[in-house]
Amino acid sequence: MTEYYGATVVDIFDTMPKRFKPEEAKDVDILIGYEATGEGGGMWTAHIKHGTLTVSKVNELKGCKTTIHAHAETFLGVTLGKITAIDALTSQKLRVVGDIRFLMTLLPKVFVPFTVIPKKKVLKARDILVTMESLFRPERAEGVTMNVGYDLTGPDCCQWSLQIKDGKCKVREGFAEELTVKLTMNASVYTGMMTGTIDGASAFTSGQVKIEGDMMAAVATARYFHKYTDPDAKEAEELICLRVTNSIEQRFASGPVMGKWFAGLREKKFLGNKCPECSRTQIPPREICAICRIRVNEFVELGPKGTVTNYDIVYFASPDPLTGAVRDTPYAPIYIVLDGSSEREAFAFELKKEDISRINVGARVRPVWTENPVGSFKDVLYFELDQ
Amino acid sequence: MKKHQKNRNVAIIGIGQTIMSSHKEDQNQVEMVQEAVINALQDANLSINDIDCIVHGNMELFEMQFAPNLWHSLGTGSRGKDEYRITTGGTTGMTLVCAADNLVASGLYDTVLAIGMEKLQEGNTTGGITNMADPLWFRNIQTGALTGTAATEMINEFGEERAKRAAIKYRIMMDKHAVLNPRAHRRFGLEYEQAEELAATSPQLVGELRLIHMCSQSDGACAMILTSEEKAKKRTHKPPVWIRDHMQTHREETIPNLFGHVKPELTHHYCARKLYERNGITNPVEYFDVFEMYDPSAWWALEWLREFFLLKGDEHINMLERGDFDLDGKIPINPSGGVIASNPIGATAMLRPAEAALQIRGDAGAHQIKKEVKHALASGFGGTYWTTLMILEKDLNWQEVDND
Repeated sequence: MTEYYGATVVDIFDTMPKRFKPEEAKDVDILIGYEATGEGGGMWTAHIKHGTLTVSKVNELKGCKTTIHAHAETFLGVTLGKITAIDALTSQKLRVVGDIRFLMTLLPKVFVPFTVIPKKKVLKARDILVTMESLFRPERAEGVTMNVGYDLTGPDCCQWSLQIKDGKCKVREGFAEELTVKLTMNASVYTGMMTGTIDGASAFTSGQVKIEGDMMAAVATARYFHKYTDPDAKEAEELICLRVTNSIEQRFASGPVMGKWFAGLREKKFLGNKCPECSRTQIPPREICAICRIRVNEFVELGPKGTVTNYDIVYFASPDPLTGAVRDTPYAPIYIVLDGSSEREAFAFELKKEDISRINVGARVRPVWTENPVGSFKDVLYFELDQ
Repeated sequence: MKKHQKNRNVAIIGIGQTIMSSHKEDQNQVEMVQEAVINALQDANLSINDIDCIVHGNMELFEMQFAPNLWHSLGTGSRGKDEYRITTGGTTGMTLVCAADNLVASGLYDTVLAIGMEKLQEGNTTGGITNMADPLWFRNIQTGALTGTAATEMINEFGEERAKRAAIKYRIMMDKHAVLNPRAHRRFGLEYEQAEELAATSPQLVGELRLIHMCSQSDGACAMILTSEEKAKKRTHKPPVWIRDHMQTHREETIPNLFGHVKPELTHHYCARKLYERNGITNPVEYFDVFEMYDPSAWWALEWLREFFLLKGDEHINMLERGDFDLDGKIPINPSGGVIASNPIGATAMLRPAEAALQIRGDAGAHQIKKEVKHALASGFGGTYWTTLMILEKDLNWQEVDND
């Protein structure tokens, strides 16, 4: 399986069940298809249904609500954050067929992000033993003659000998003749002791190491060698990003002019104001007419019906500015010239979702109010087509 | 129009940029700012001791850090110097250059360092933009910086096929320029053969504004050093680029009024009209050799080219179709790749005069225009439609216009 960024596409799907957060997916029912092309690719589906997840390797993507397509390299790059998702989407290296929101909103919610666990080579006893000759300290072993045998058990079992004689050290597989001392232990205990994660004395006391022969020779062995260090264990430089979430409560004074506007909403009325000089209407009302630089004190009721002059149908799930929550898409802010308004003075509000597919410039619309308006922008639910 | 004359001429003598990217986790804000400052000082062959005053700007709402210039002083070198902080939304970067120009022209300071920066990765751009809307009424319907109205209007005016083809052609042209600029953030390697597929399949954001049309969110910083004519002429390191004039235009503050039954004159058109008038420029397309435009999306870019060049009907589309805006065209647009390629917002509008000045110096590298660049135009754009426009010159030989 071809690796990119130190992982394979298979790793992503193999770890999916472990990364799944069922409590976040209680109300979700969706089949998502994934196609990773190129070497190391394949097709998978993830079926999230009421807090359960089924990941399957498939030969074709059938019945999926949303499918995600990319080369295996892009797939891993985006999943690992090495490639910015929005850039991959923009350049079409990553393609989403269906509702793109799932990628941005649902997936980050229901899955713990995929990360590559740096493949630390599992250190084996053999790796250490073959370096022992180079770690030998002849100056400390003057006049010493001894043969130490290691009988290492467990999955990595092997037998080795260290022969020290005439200021030299030889390491060989198998037992030397005439062992001064023989140590029997699990191979993992040996590597633990050599790398410092297991204390030798404790291991002996707890019976993990058995010593046959000259116990003092066994204890002295360490003196004749430099300490072993794992070449892969160097700690990587760590770059730390701090995460902060700000939440601020605010209060804004509306002032007497906007105060009248909000009071009008309570009566289900749009109260604009009218410049005494140029006669243009302003909605919502403004304190002065910026063109004539004059106070505007005359209020007039506008609308409530109006004509659509332009609109935006929004598919991108931007945050709701009032709650921070991801908005349900599509939604459509529309620009309306209310009846009685000056021709340049448009008003903007959201359109009823059911009317989005039928909206056009020139359409007539009317506001839909809440039952008990309180003097807030929430008093108008939306505008709907006036038919 | 009132007479507008500088007290003394001002030159750009140092330009420094970081590489723009979506990921700058290896640098904090201070280090990123310092990289741009060092690059600008080296470009000008100056040391920080030669700087008399610093102007600093970005968008506080994006990183949610109050008065970041205090923190950044470690990277800007402002300790013990006069410093002003300026933030004007999307136009911040160019407003900084305008302010530095005014500070030097006034005679208050000889050499001023302007620094614009943004680390969009450290905040929430759409959230920040939304919080700029009128808190009393408009916040509930704000959609961030995304709007498809320009697309709707162009499709209505020029027909769906032609309008869509033009928008995607502009986008691919920007990518072709960005590929040549090693500092640009998004360099996709798009080809014109992909136009049809991209236009049809790129995900829709708002109406016909698709993901491919929209600008990036980038991290990066830009720094520029401005000095007086007297000092600039004593230097031989690199040729100075002269700031001839600049103008900022704002509009009455309500977005819906852009969409009444009658379309108002856009600030871009107003600003261009007034600035050319003040400088006696009657045919901007003939006069300028390059235009570095603040282009937040391919649709807006096209619509705005008509406004900035005071064109009529479909002249701007014709020019695009003829290749006039290409790197080797009649008047190249954004040799740098523009905002569509790189958008560290507080630096974005500074990159426009910075890149235009590099073109005049003939110093832009792989994205240098082949023919000589004498007159350059640079624009900035902000929020609910405001405009900054700047004219840069290679030679100090323009005619003052007598407007009395």
